[in-house]
Amino acid sequence: MSETRTLLVCCGTGCLANHASEVADALEAAVAAAGVDAVVGVEASDAATVKRTGCNGFCENGPIVKVHPDDISYYKVRPKHAEKIVASLGGEPVKALLYRNDEKQLVTRQLDNPFYASQRKIALRNIGEIDPLVIEDYQERGGYVVLERIIREAVPPETVIQELIDSGLRGRGGAGFPTGIKWKTAAGYARGGGADADGGQLPAFVCCNGDEGDPGAFMDRSILEGDPHGVIEGLAICAYAVGAEQGFLYIRDEYGLALKNVSAALASAEERGFIGDDILGTGRKLHLEIVRGGGAFVCGESTALMQSIEGQLGEPRAKYIRSAQRGLWDYPTVLNNVETLVNVPYILACGGAEYAKLGTARSSGTKVFSLVGKVNRTGLIEVPMGATLRHLIFDIGGGIKNDRAFKAVQTGGPSGGCIPEQYLDLEVDFDGLTEKGAMMGSGGMIVMDDHDCMVEVARYYVGFLAEESCGKCTPCREGLRHMQAILTDITEGRGQPGDIELLERLGHTLQQASLCELGKTAPNPVLSTIKYFRDEYEAHITAGVCPAGVCPELTDFYIDAEACTSCNACKKACPTGAIEGDKERAYVIDMALCISCGSCRAACRFDSVCTRGKARGKAAAGAGTSAEGKVAS
Amino acid sequence: MSETVKLVIDGKPCTCEKGDYLLEVAQRNGIRIPRMCYHEGLSGLGACRVCIVEVVEAGRSRVVTSCIYPVLSEIEVFTQNEKIKELRGMVLTLLARLAPNAEGVAKMAAKTGIELPRLAVKEGGDTCILCGRCVSACEALGSGAIAKVNRGVTKEIATPYGEPSSECIGCGSCAFVCPTDSIASERTEESFTIWGREFEMQRCSVCGMPFTTQAAFAFLQAAQAEWEPGAEQQPPLCEECGKKAVARQIANAGKYL
Repeated sequence: MSETRTLLVCCGTGCLANHASEVADALEAAVAAAGVDAVVGVEASDAATVKRTGCNGFCENGPIVKVHPDDISYYKVRPKHAEKIVASLGGEPVKALLYRNDEKQLVTRQLDNPFYASQRKIALRNIGEIDPLVIEDYQERGGYVVLERIIREAVPPETVIQELIDSGLRGRGGAGFPTGIKWKTAAGYARGGGADADGGQLPAFVCCNGDEGDPGAFMDRSILEGDPHGVIEGLAICAYAVGAEQGFLYIRDEYGLALKNVSAALASAEERGFIGDDILGTGRKLHLEIVRGGGAFVCGESTALMQSIEGQLGEPRAKYIRSAQRGLWDYPTVLNNVETLVNVPYILACGGAEYAKLGTARSSGTKVFSLVGKVNRTGLIEVPMGATLRHLIFDIGGGIKNDRAFKAVQTGGPSGGCIPEQYLDLEVDFDGLTEKGAMMGSGGMIVMDDHDCMVEVARYYVGFLAEESCGKCTPCREGLRHMQAILTDITEGRGQPGDIELLERLGHTLQQASLCELGKTAPNPVLSTIKYFRDEYEAHITAGVCPAGVCPELTDFYIDAEACTSCNACKKACPTGAIEGDKERAYVIDMALCISCGSCRAACRFDSVCTRGKARGKAAAGAGTSAEGKVAS
Repeated sequence: MSETVKLVIDGKPCTCEKGDYLLEVAQRNGIRIPRMCYHEGLSGLGACRVCIVEVVEAGRSRVVTSCIYPVLSEIEVFTQNEKIKELRGMVLTLLARLAPNAEGVAKMAAKTGIELPRLAVKEGGDTCILCGRCVSACEALGSGAIAKVNRGVTKEIATPYGEPSSECIGCGSCAFVCPTDSIASERTEESFTIWGREFEMQRCSVCGMPFTTQAAFAFLQAAQAEWEPGAEQQPPLCEECGKKAVARQIANAGKYL
């Protein structure tokens, strides 16, 4: 074997936290140390190179190391494995580091791993395959070819925009507005087609929204970190199409690696003349600038983001006049999400009509989701639109952890909604999710099992939004404050008859009367859980019972002696030392010490930690006999 | 050349210039839409949501904020149908819980007939409804002594770090525009105190009456010097004496016509 090998070490944020950098160092050292012996007849330096790539998406199994061209994927690699990996090059893969599929068989190739098998990577096409700091890596995979062709051949902007319209691409940031139409509108106003313009060319701006803020969502971070040139090329094409000479990448300041990689990519793109004062010698200009977000969730909202770029307070404005007409400094502005932009060079390379073949009739292409929560395989996945929830959760995600029962999947970030089991076969696209009271949002997907309390879930999200609302308009700020108070009351046993109806009434007020989309969608977590899990709300309020056994004020824990195997896991997990027992004596919970945190139940593998309605205090008073039975295991 | 747009408000056919704000169009046609943060001298804030109305355009209905909604096409407007009554009532109820001591708000909220004792009064809530008029007035005057700080349920109006602001000129515009008299200030012959700062009063050079703060007068003079470089600095004149001075100028100018 004399072929040169590339060792691709995943250095996304997740893997870096798991010491991927040390793994890469160790592999480099091992390659150098192995010398010519490792690969017969080839100089050590040519035999293998180590490349640090972006995120492969399967973070919980990181650090991930891939060997090309053999197409071997290793998981949970530690620095100590480096020598073994290098020694195996050209021979048998290191079995201990391969993934085991659901049938417990070892899989070598990435595409044989059930997590990756049915993914279709377009937005994530380069991530994990290239070193984001090396522009040649991006170019080797077809990067900047489209931009260069458009500019050198002076393709009319209308042609570029039409291609986007034909592709059916819709904004991946959440709202799902057709990207091509947005570009066309802005280009029209910029060229003087606007109603109140005098016919002269107006300055226009392009922006990339990288202010990802949904808890549990990290698709944009991964793209910015792993394929910054893809985003820059998309933004540069957008600028060409609408006639902008200035653009901004608004990236939240917490995304340190993304900021670093995008800055470096901007510098190298400018050095190659893809952006700057004289693009590819044509005299065209495009200045791209990074603006760091200050950590406000609401600044992901388009108008608040523009306020923030202008140096104003990040509060949304009404969108009776769209940003495509009057955005930044009142000039036509296109704002696209990171994932939207990274799709653009791909679409123009393959053709809009070809792209439109993917996905569903009204939502074309693919979508990146961050699949997290109670599933066996969590991570970043990209699938064609129209894949069913069941496919995402049970095939790619490998089903529910510990074989528990699926209860709901929360989609669309904090202002998304919870979708129950009866809609598991729902085909996921923009309209399908909205119809069910949830939304696509940026693509967060949190899977919940029967140990999740839906009232508590609603309370958590409403609490998040109450803090992250900009606080400008009354319904959103005050409505969320009251909803949070009522939900807290319900989860702590102070719910009152009529609370559910009041929550609905407040929710409708927010939906109709709020200023921006944050407020209009903020009641979704409450309204969708009331819609599908009303009985759970009622149990809290009227019976004083949390059916899922989550809300501490309403829940007592006990150990079912018959099911208990005396494994001691619960005792070890208990933070207050409330559990007594050993092989001889049955395990029991001392109720005087128990704080109902649920750690014992989470630790138990035999369903022997059970819950029932609280037997003491105010909450139990109205609970009666219904609270005595075993309500959940 | 501006374009004329036809619209119907609560059944009444009206016309306006394209781009006019709906609340003002209604007002000109004798229909007063309830409002709280709207002020004719400040650009639309759209914060309180009391002036929401229902707009039907080409069969599509939506709830809009009339103070910042530009009329661009033929629409039908409902300022007090059942839907709007409910939503506006809820908004006013929310405002009344936020500012339990604001009398005007309490009166408007009482009229809605909505009683929701389950909604608790905000802890520490007094008269401020967080509409932002004061901040807007301060900005419009060219200062920046106060701002909306924090976000979400913790939002408040304050000076930087809650300390007396060096930007404040004691002009009192913030208190003047406040719809609920929420900004505390104290005025004597000699001084004006607001936002934790005490300002010396400026007396009129003619009648001797204190009419603004010295800091505010100096600010205006500086602003004037910027607008009209080289122009003669005006002596401090109270409103009354200022009017007289202008009247004299006009009279003198007329003499030689």
